Amino acid sequence: MNVNEKIKDQLEKNPVLLYMKGTPDFPQCGFSGQTVAALKSVGRPFAYVNIFEDPEIREGLKVYSNWPTFPQLYVNGELIGGADIVVEMFHSGELKSLLVDDEVAAESD
Amino acid sequence: MRVALSEERLNLIRQALETRFAPTELVIKDQSQLHIGHDGAKDGKGHFDVTIVAAEFRGQNRIARHRMVYDALAELLQSDIHALRIKAFPPSER
Repeated sequence: MNVNEKIKDQLEKNPVLLYMKGTPDFPQCGFSGQTVAALKSVGRPFAYVNIFEDPEIREGLKVYSNWPTFPQLYVNGELIGGADIVVEMFHSGELKSLLVDDEVAAESD
Repeated sequence: MRVALSEERLNLIRQALETRFAPTELVIKDQSQLHIGHDGAKDGKGHFDVTIVAAEFRGQNRIARHRMVYDALAELLQSDIHALRIKAFPPSER
């Protein structure tokens, strides 16, 4: 599997997926931490990939998404945004409507 | 590796954004000092906060607006910018 296929596979298997620095319990960057906090407040379970553990994904995702920074939140395979956008959507209530009120496919494992 | 001074970096960012968007409002802050010692500061690149108001953002969603800003700063993202906070909107949303 090349890196693009690997990314597609991760996105297909995880309807809410956060590519981040560190883990939700130990974020290694303030922006990743803020994004995790917004997701946790909304209460929708989410999957994550720690990009520090996968340098190939880290470089490949920037090209795949045409987005140069992390974190990156995906819902149903679509890039929602980085920390600024996710936090803004949290404050406006859009994050909750997107993740909780709208139907997001059930988490698969 | 060339490490630009804060002032020089702010000017480079300002220049790139003014050339690309002719913004009606542009505020750029260097927040690198908040991140000294963090992993993200190790490469010597800076943390910046950009607020930009320009007509071109009208009709674009958030992702598109951020991408436009990232594109305008693509070169600097390689050399001088580690992280960027972006607030981008058209004058009608001011």
